[in-house]
Amino acid sequence: MIELKGVTKVFGSKRAVDHLDLQVSAGELFGFLGPNGAGKTTTIKMVCGLLKPSTGTVTIGGYTAGSREARQLLAYVPDQPYLYEKLTGREFLRFVVDMYGLDTKRASRRIEELIDTFEMRDYVDDLCEGYSHGMKQRVVFASALVHDPKVLIVDEPLVGLDPRSARIVKDLFISQARSGVAVLMSTHLLSIAEELADTIGIIDKGKMLVRGTVDDLREHAQLQGPLESLFLKLTGGDRPTIMPGLVGSGEPN
Amino acid sequence: MSSLPPVLTTPGQVARAFRRLHGDLVSNITHGMLSGSRLRLVMVAFCTAVFWAALFFLFFGGFQFLGMYGALAGDFVEYIFSLFFLSLLVMLFFSTGIITYTGLFQRREAAFLLTTPASADRIFAYKFFEATAISSWAFILLGSPLMAGYGISADVHWSFYLLFLAFLIAFVLIPGSLGAVAAILVARFFPRRQKSILASLAALVILAGIWLVVQLWPAPGDAFTPDWLDSLLGRLSFCQQPLLPSRWMSKGLVEAAKGNWSDGLFYLMVIFGYAGVAYLLAAVVARDLYRDAYSRVQGERSTKRKVGGYEVDELFHRVFFFLPHPIRLLILKDLRTFRRDPAQWSQFLIFFGLLALYFLSIRRIGYDTQRPYWRNLISFLNLGVTSLILSTFTSRFIFPLLSLEGRNFWILGLLPLSRSSILWGKFAFSTGISLLSTELLIVLGDLMLRMPPLMIALHMGMVLVLCLGLSGISVGLGARLPNLKEEDPSRIAAGFGGTLNLLVSLVFIFTIVSSLALPCHLFFIGQDEFGAAGGRVLTENQFHFWLGVAVAGSLVVGALATIIPLRIGIKAFRRMEF
Repeated sequence: MIELKGVTKVFGSKRAVDHLDLQVSAGELFGFLGPNGAGKTTTIKMVCGLLKPSTGTVTIGGYTAGSREARQLLAYVPDQPYLYEKLTGREFLRFVVDMYGLDTKRASRRIEELIDTFEMRDYVDDLCEGYSHGMKQRVVFASALVHDPKVLIVDEPLVGLDPRSARIVKDLFISQARSGVAVLMSTHLLSIAEELADTIGIIDKGKMLVRGTVDDLREHAQLQGPLESLFLKLTGGDRPTIMPGLVGSGEPN
Repeated sequence: MSSLPPVLTTPGQVARAFRRLHGDLVSNITHGMLSGSRLRLVMVAFCTAVFWAALFFLFFGGFQFLGMYGALAGDFVEYIFSLFFLSLLVMLFFSTGIITYTGLFQRREAAFLLTTPASADRIFAYKFFEATAISSWAFILLGSPLMAGYGISADVHWSFYLLFLAFLIAFVLIPGSLGAVAAILVARFFPRRQKSILASLAALVILAGIWLVVQLWPAPGDAFTPDWLDSLLGRLSFCQQPLLPSRWMSKGLVEAAKGNWSDGLFYLMVIFGYAGVAYLLAAVVARDLYRDAYSRVQGERSTKRKVGGYEVDELFHRVFFFLPHPIRLLILKDLRTFRRDPAQWSQFLIFFGLLALYFLSIRRIGYDTQRPYWRNLISFLNLGVTSLILSTFTSRFIFPLLSLEGRNFWILGLLPLSRSSILWGKFAFSTGISLLSTELLIVLGDLMLRMPPLMIALHMGMVLVLCLGLSGISVGLGARLPNLKEEDPSRIAAGFGGTLNLLVSLVFIFTIVSSLALPCHLFFIGQDEFGAAGGRVLTENQFHFWLGVAVAGSLVVGALATIIPLRIGIKAFRRMEF
């Protein structure tokens, strides 16, 4: 469903993404990992059609990213969710439903289902300006799923969510993938990627270093153990050191 | 690769979604206003009514005065309307362009909408009409008393007012659409230089404005004579160009007022026609370039920018060694933000730079050789203009300072400093920048006007009082009425707190400048070019007495304007929870 072929994105003299090839198939949950500034968000924005690649092609379901057809297939949950402060959560969901031209009855049913799934009934009719970050995140997840997307792009999905909401989101990702949705999830939380992703890709300095299942990655790096060690070996070589000045003396003040 | 092609949302469905969104937003905002603070609502309504009534009586009096010129009055009105609508044309081009740019390229809403099935021209339409409404409401507030004053003095039929509304709606679309086209083209072709292009254009327009004022300024002594009138209309002939939409507005409105409905409607149709073409052009540009332009602007934001100027910081520490170190650091933080945000310093530089240019050209214009009465009048006008520009600076940049701390407010709250020190730091920052720029300007202007040392000293003292008072008002009210949810300083300044801050600042400036200008004006009014007494209203002794009273009064008002808002602000800031 998602395909990037030889994609490069240059910002001034900086090469944010460098000849990147990536495929995420229908039903696959892809965990996109990499250090800060590695090019994850730039890649995601290109998949969503918000940034145009300098060279190469990005397609969604065979359609060029950013085209009308590609946008119809896609749902995007950014790391900083956007909601209209002067709308209620329900009004926002209805706006998204209207935007995707869904049948009113079906859409209403879907909205109610999502309100229950994300446990939003207590506040969904209040203005969004009063929501906490976690509440906003839940509304945004609901809005992403309300139109049954075929491709789900999520940037840092669990930021600001309490454990219960995080569990709901994780379960939904898995169920979405199992129902045939291609899920591209960018995260810094290695445990989440390890727990959820069918396939993991590690990107650094704009290049895909390695791609495969956790076992494939271990084999590639010739290293057993947690994903963290694998990630550190692939992206930095070593475990980062703490400067001696920052190490406590171990004695109480 | 793809299985079945997706079922696409139709343009009609997207349009309906946006209509519903608008409806919900307007309804919720109205409900919030009505159920919110009644005092705030009453105050806004009261201020608007007072402002409207004052403008109405001003315009009505002006039209009554023009009526004395008999047959010439019609020509006058056309010239006034042409000039008014031409100014409107230029201002709406810039304001709608800037607001559209912010809405299309800088707000997170744009990223959200661009990933939905909405087409680029539909998103543009939504943001464009929002920008036009925001930029035009003030002109409707300004234009309606003008038309009411004219309508009553010309005894027009009531349907004239409806026609005026139609004229205004069509007219604002022309500069708005062209401003939006410019915004998209700048974003598409100059994604890194949008601020410098804007600053250059604004500087050009302000220069043109100053040139216009210099052109129109009457030579002392010959105002309202037939020769003066003739030469004035000659200088204004540029606004009567038949290809300008402002000319169509003035011609159409004057003809409609006379009862020539066919001519009035003809010009209305011409304006509607061009408004339609201008909007179509904007929509086509948006359809073809918006997505690409958005990608470029976002890309340029990701490029790394080098920062420097640490020598200035070092110098600051040395010069202000007597301030406590943490306060110096806080001031330095605001100073760095100011230095690294071109939107702040470029506006500051443009306005004060152009004022400096004007002051430098005072002798070339020949103001310095005029009678003391004129020089005194011009010096106070200079002071008034400088103070007004300073008040826009404090309202636009100083008032939002605390609000902009926003989500990082806890950092200030947890600093090992008393909260009052934080506000005093911001106050010192504002006063320092204000004093540095305005004192230099006022001294320059007075020297060019060859003002006596006593008057220069008086003006410098006034500027000190004004800088302290305006900074106190902006910092104090900024802490009392913060808007921690908004990230855009222009929106914070345009909100209730910002508007109140501007109003209080204007009243303060008016009080200080007029109380000191009055005794000076009455003293100089009868002097000839050599300073000898003619028909003086005040003798020298009386002048010194009343000036002393005015200075004392100004010092008291200045102290109150500085201390009271700061105290209110400090009290509110101490109580604030993070």
